[in-house]
Amino acid sequence: MRTLIASRCAAGACLLIAAASIDSAAAQSAASASPPDFSGVYYPYTPGRGGGGGRQATAPAAAQRGAAPAGAQRGGAPPPRPTQSAPLSDGSQGRSPEAPKLTPEYLAKWEVMRKSRIAGSYEYDNNARCLPPGMPAMMGMAYGMEIMQAKDRITFFSELNDALRRVYLDGRKPTAKQLDDPTYAGYSTGHWEGDTLVVETVALHPDSFIEGFTPHSDAMTVSERIRFTAPGILEDRITVRDPKALTEPWQTVRTYRKALPPNDELREFACAEGLSRELVSGKH
Amino acid sequence: MTRIRILVLALAVAVFSPAVALSHHSNVAYEVTKVITITGVVKGFDWVNPHTWLHVVVDDGKGGKVEWACEGRAPGVLLRAGWSRTVLKPGETVTVDMSPAKDGSKTSIIARVTKADGTILSNQPVFDDRGN
Repeated sequence: MRTLIASRCAAGACLLIAAASIDSAAAQSAASASPPDFSGVYYPYTPGRGGGGGRQATAPAAAQRGAAPAGAQRGGAPPPRPTQSAPLSDGSQGRSPEAPKLTPEYLAKWEVMRKSRIAGSYEYDNNARCLPPGMPAMMGMAYGMEIMQAKDRITFFSELNDALRRVYLDGRKPTAKQLDDPTYAGYSTGHWEGDTLVVETVALHPDSFIEGFTPHSDAMTVSERIRFTAPGILEDRITVRDPKALTEPWQTVRTYRKALPPNDELREFACAEGLSRELVSGKH
Repeated sequence: MTRIRILVLALAVAVFSPAVALSHHSNVAYEVTKVITITGVVKGFDWVNPHTWLHVVVDDGKGGKVEWACEGRAPGVLLRAGWSRTVLKPGETVTVDMSPAKDGSKTSIIARVTKADGTILSNQPVFDDRGN
């Protein structure tokens, strides 16, 4: 057949046939292309800034890698004395304009929590009580995340509170039994749209938070579109819907940067370690 | 013999129990925007989750001693900020910049620790522009 085509066509026509074959092969290849590999350890990243955790690096990079005490600052002009020890997270500054817009009922719940936190209580501080951060707050991944990817599922692990979520990619859907059993991470299913992982999460525990200590109802669902925006830069575009707690869907974007050795290992968190000491000592 | 056993047990409890109750483990318990500074001697450094605890004994200026329990970030975060389990040893002098507890107790949350040789232990992980 090849001989027949070659013998019957002029040189120019054969070139056209060859070009068409290549285009067809490229299209086929794109349609069956493997999804990108998200596997690895990531830390939060603010585009245009230097550091992990969304914070500016405060010491020379080389200091991080040397012998102990790596990362410690020594010599040179002393850095300015800190004016704050940790983020102000007790709600004393009120709600940010970017925070989810709550219905009056849920705003009232938030006010109760705010008063409690300003008083120094951790009654509504899940993090201090070693509870999982839950979806979608856990995707803040303040202490880093590890992604483990397989064909039929992708697993997100948070160093903070050793929290885990699984996203099933094999086409399964949550059963009525699973929908009736809310958890902090919820029940997540997803599929690939080209290079983007599209995820839907349902069955979320009503005692977890959307972000900070913003409450939600049992009707909350979370949609995500996760993709690489540049080599090693992963973006998660999150949309939260909750007809009971929110007056409109809330959207946020989390960005992470893939870590290289030696920072590509997360440490065990074992939150109960400290709590169990308090149980034994009888003091809180 | 029984008395000796009881004594050994009592000593073990005394040695392995936290010196000060770990009253807090949350930012909300502290006045995080107020930073005070103490200089004192390390009594102990507990490398535990969810937060580390540094115990520092400070002269009160009246011939007495005051013990502060200073809460630090989690071991994983501090490792990335250049700390280690043994970076602060009992008996060494340290200066601690910290925010006091809202309830007025001698507990605080650490902003940074400065060792006697001037080494500063920050509570922020350090990454270069490639995230490493």
